[in-house]
Amino acid sequence: MTLQEYTSSAHNFEECMKCTVCTAYCPVVPANPKYPGPKQAGPDGERLRLKDPFFFEETLKYCLNCKRCEVACPSGVKVADIIQAARIRYSKSKPKLRDRILASTDFMGTLARPFAPVVNGMTGLGATKAVLDATMAIDKHRTFPKYSFKGFESWFRKNAPDQTRFPEQVSYFHGCYVNYNFPQLGKDFVKVMNAAGIGVNLLDKEKCCGVAMISNGMIDGAKKHAAHNVAVLGKAVDAGRKILTTSSTCTFTMRDEYPELLGIDNSKVRDEITLATRYLYERISSGEVKLKFKKDYHAKIAYHTPCHMEKLGWGVYSVELLKMIPGVEFTLLDSNCCGIAGTYGFKKENYEVSQAIGKPLFDQIARVAPDFVACDCETCKWQIEMSTGLQVKNPISILAEALDI
Amino acid sequence: MRKDNEFDVIIVGGGITGAGTARDCALRGLKVLLVERHDIATGATGRNHGLLHSGARYAVTDKESATECIEENMILRRIARHCVDETDGFFITLPEDDLAYQAKFVESCTAAGIRAEIIDPKEAIRLEPSVNPDLIGAVRVPDGSVDPFRLCSANMLDAKLHGAKILVYSEVTEFIKEGDTIRGVRVRDNRSGEISEYYAPVTVNAAGIWGHQIAAMAGANIGMFPAKGALLIFAHRVNSIVINRCRKPANADILVPGDTVCVIGTTSTKVPFEECDNMHVTPDEVDLLLTEGAKLAPALATTRILRAYAGVRPLVSADNDPSGRNISRGIVCLDHETRDGIKGFVSITGGKLMTYRLMGEQAADLVCKKLNINKKCETATLPLPGSEGGKTEEVSKKIWAVPSAPQKAAAGRAGTRAEVIPLKNPLDQALVCECEEVSSGEVRYALEHLEVDNLVDLRRRTRVGMGTCQGGLCACRAAGMIAEARGCAEKAEADLKGFMNERWKGMYPIAWGNTLREAEYTQWVYNYVIGLNEQ
Amino acid sequence: MEFDVVIIGGGLAGLTAGLALQEKGKRTAIVSAGQNALHFSSGAFGLLDAEDPLQAAKELPEHHPYARIGAENLPKYTEAAKALFGKAGIALNGEPLKNGWRLTPQGGLKRAWMTLPEVDIFPDKEAIKGHKVLIVNLLGYLDFNTSFLALGLEKQGCSCRIETLRLPEMERLRENPSEMRSVNIARVMDSAWIKVAAEIKTLVKDEDWIILPLVFGLKDATVPDRIREAVPAKVLFVGTMPPSVPGMRTQMQLKKAYEALGGTFLMGDEAISAKTEGSRVLSVSTRNLGEVKAAEFVLATGSYFSKGIASDMNHVFEPIFGADVLLDEGRSAWYDPDFFSPQAFLSYGVATDGQFRVLKDQAPMDNLHAIGSVLGGARSLELGCGAGVAILTALSVAETI
Repeated sequence: MTLQEYTSSAHNFEECMKCTVCTAYCPVVPANPKYPGPKQAGPDGERLRLKDPFFFEETLKYCLNCKRCEVACPSGVKVADIIQAARIRYSKSKPKLRDRILASTDFMGTLARPFAPVVNGMTGLGATKAVLDATMAIDKHRTFPKYSFKGFESWFRKNAPDQTRFPEQVSYFHGCYVNYNFPQLGKDFVKVMNAAGIGVNLLDKEKCCGVAMISNGMIDGAKKHAAHNVAVLGKAVDAGRKILTTSSTCTFTMRDEYPELLGIDNSKVRDEITLATRYLYERISSGEVKLKFKKDYHAKIAYHTPCHMEKLGWGVYSVELLKMIPGVEFTLLDSNCCGIAGTYGFKKENYEVSQAIGKPLFDQIARVAPDFVACDCETCKWQIEMSTGLQVKNPISILAEALDI
Repeated sequence: MRKDNEFDVIIVGGGITGAGTARDCALRGLKVLLVERHDIATGATGRNHGLLHSGARYAVTDKESATECIEENMILRRIARHCVDETDGFFITLPEDDLAYQAKFVESCTAAGIRAEIIDPKEAIRLEPSVNPDLIGAVRVPDGSVDPFRLCSANMLDAKLHGAKILVYSEVTEFIKEGDTIRGVRVRDNRSGEISEYYAPVTVNAAGIWGHQIAAMAGANIGMFPAKGALLIFAHRVNSIVINRCRKPANADILVPGDTVCVIGTTSTKVPFEECDNMHVTPDEVDLLLTEGAKLAPALATTRILRAYAGVRPLVSADNDPSGRNISRGIVCLDHETRDGIKGFVSITGGKLMTYRLMGEQAADLVCKKLNINKKCETATLPLPGSEGGKTEEVSKKIWAVPSAPQKAAAGRAGTRAEVIPLKNPLDQALVCECEEVSSGEVRYALEHLEVDNLVDLRRRTRVGMGTCQGGLCACRAAGMIAEARGCAEKAEADLKGFMNERWKGMYPIAWGNTLREAEYTQWVYNYVIGLNEQ
Repeated sequence: MEFDVVIIGGGLAGLTAGLALQEKGKRTAIVSAGQNALHFSSGAFGLLDAEDPLQAAKELPEHHPYARIGAENLPKYTEAAKALFGKAGIALNGEPLKNGWRLTPQGGLKRAWMTLPEVDIFPDKEAIKGHKVLIVNLLGYLDFNTSFLALGLEKQGCSCRIETLRLPEMERLRENPSEMRSVNIARVMDSAWIKVAAEIKTLVKDEDWIILPLVFGLKDATVPDRIREAVPAKVLFVGTMPPSVPGMRTQMQLKKAYEALGGTFLMGDEAISAKTEGSRVLSVSTRNLGEVKAAEFVLATGSYFSKGIASDMNHVFEPIFGADVLLDEGRSAWYDPDFFSPQAFLSYGVATDGQFRVLKDQAPMDNLHAIGSVLGGARSLELGCGAGVAILTALSVAETI
């Protein structure tokens, strides 16, 4: 046995030097004094919880799981993972019906979509919002993302141009949002990939990545989804295909939350899951792919780096891709959480905190005054659109509209 | 009418033995003075495993100690609930050990009245996942952990609540003798230098290893054997059940979870008396503790180490055992009148943390006999202050209904006494030590009511600075609070420097990996940003 | 990805090198494994703890980074440093070629070379003698020890009065038992400073100095000056326990300036390993991006805390490249039992040749330079040269590349 062979402890929370940097970058601390802060909730609290689970605090639920503490930590402490793992292990509070509904993105989507016009009409109504606010504690300021009558999957099956004509094939994990709420992004993705000479396949029945279930304490459900997804992703990998996504959060969840929080082994597929922007950037910079852009395209774009993108460290790919488009006037917004954190901001009790967290971002967007905002995350999109009135577009959609095809 | 400086009994030594004796005597109605040259629990009391022995460790070799241990173990669970963690313990057999020893061990435990149950190694791993998975045998015994600082201060507090006078930083310089009778002690206040005299018909020497010198000062010789034991503290609880080796007692074969940490120990080496005041842990001792410790729980090899420390067991020598391992841990209660012809002088020594109460009882019995007082000992039945409630959860919910994190932490340390600590408003709940969740209210209470002279004393009472960063974040805060409370910044600043050195003393023997990272950070902050080194 | 230069480490050294190289037209990336030691800044930069630092630098042993730069070259870089910060929007106080003094939180004086805008630098020790001082703290803020500050100042012949403000704006923050920290207070103070200034005006009697903790000017760097303008006495801001408000803001300013010059700052990424061929580094592998190629690499990974150098029971080593490290054999030689004496371990770090090319197996790597506190032999805490070494080695290496 080699003693102390690791320069660092095998127990990640012990890497904490108590330097307090994480507390300075936590978006929740300044907005919500009930939250103990990442240091106290994370590595400090862990020692106490190991002593006696009574030291677990339910206020850990105020953590956004945005991972900004981890990005800032000079010691490599997985602060947010420690906090989320503690919630999974010790929390005694059961998810409310409201939380279950918010978390079950694909189940809700399946139910709602056939009635999309009705559901959209209803959830958009002031009266319905008031009812949701009062009975379900879903904040009245929020508008549910609209459900699309026709899902992306069925569009793809019927309408997607023949993909087999491309020698190179990738699999697309579209996620719930593209399927139920915004198929246009999926269509844009197919268009861009095809323009790059790459054919698109869908997976053999993907399920929601599970991020909303994780944040709402529905761990068993999240594990089931994770196991299912790892299996179907594995089939794509076996077929020699990369798995591309257009959501930074789905990507991050499947790559890092599956093993770290859910204990689901994804080692076979992890490195094959990548964001479409990263994949494209790498293919373009290696000279394998060339994209042709419109000559008259013009847009003033401000890019917001979603928290999970910040954690992935892949914002650079989306940024570089957007900068490649001629006629783009580009601003990289300061790194700041928008405050929505998936379903967090939808909850009535979090509304004010959510908006306070996002305020510096909204203020900066107002100062920059872009034509629209670019962002790789669907929930950031809802928040920024609601809070600034500006449209938010995924970089892939921007590429699709700028391409000269 | 007696004068202020006249007592029934003077107890020399503020460790657990002195505290237990003081409490016992005070409960019997005696007017008690306790004098301690440093702070409470500065000797072996604060420098051991914090193991609530079941006695199993001694069952094979020292049945008398074993029986004492299990009896006291059961008593402490009742009277010192807020100091005790009922974890249970395993005695594990590893492939290199003789499994045949297990049968003898269980038989001896049973004979001594210690519940000892052989369990399947797989079951042992399930119950304690950190245990060495190669184990071939496991016996479950009623070990536990006990916080020696808390236990000592609770005894002191109860003595005080029953009229005892406690003088810390008060060193006996001389006995006041009349012929062959000890009439009292001359005491120097180590802070002011002031000399005082105190009188009592009986003086009890409860000074641990330093009892050797105290006895010599009185003209008696107790052949004591200073046996150094080194230990390592790990940064979190690796185990939740005490892990021992099922073999003849040897080095580094006990791993005890205590409060937020766990402790591996010990070594055993004879040291000269003059070294007892300044123990250092050597690199060899560290290597040995780690190597052997990792055999109990392999995770120790990759766990952050917080500090190394050493204490000296106050053994009374019987033979020429070079390590002291085989000397009985039995109690030695000496009536120097019959033994040495010195009247009014009693020594209580030997023994161990576990049997402190019994030691106190024996000493108090002897004191009462000498004073012709016929009062029964009550220490085995009356709970210590703070121990009148149950677990931390019950205690804290009873006080605050919905306790906050700092309130929970305070209840974990003070038990039901947390009720008297100011912890209601946000200012009181503000954390001073974040690692151990010690709040401003707790610190202020200790400064006002618990005989705190300096930061190290404060640490013993509150755990300030005992966490992962070893004072990096809180020492400066706590020093500021001391400066304000005492109105003397100059002393507080010197105290802060002393505290940083005291913390460093436990860190440099393990100065690699995260300790060096933490040390560099602390150096930057204290010696550059704050500029403490220039002061 | 591929760049002209990849800088590993996003602290003071890495950012300085990044700025200088971007200005030279290089396409660079900074890989920053989390935040850095600027977050524990005193608000002052040290060059060398000596009366005449540039003269004293001549006496340093040959493996000290200043000796490697060459004492004769130092003035050029000290001037360039001030200019570089100025371009990034940070107007440093102090003269590039001289030392001054800064007031410590203990009320003492420590040598300072240049200071961040809100921190005063005194030309001589006399400047702090004989003042009437009003020290103002905020109720419940424990990381600013007013009594120690007063003690130190009184030793300098000042007379001190301590007042504590209770602002309603801070009550919400107080509900959290652990977050009454400098940075969180500073967020409140970006607007509540007006109240602080107003309160001070009512408190001040005949004092000529007001001392406040450095909890102002996090997002809005103008706040300290606005307080100065509003208060009828000289206002000094004194450092606090971490996190450092001016340090954190400076990091943000430098990063922004670097990105404005086209630099790619990879926050939260970490160089795990390197690919080398002979004496050349071909690429580093980062946790987030995988292989990153460049023509030149700069090692600015910091010291122990930042994991630029690491140690186990018997070794001190450099974890990415396995570079040579200057150290003493046997861990009992690494430390001094007195916490306040110079600690040998603090002098350990990467060995380089005269051009800061990193040595591996005693031979220099052609395209790998080390800068800042990862360097061995700097003894930066003992000699008070941490920031100086970071900035000047960065500028020197940026010039060579």
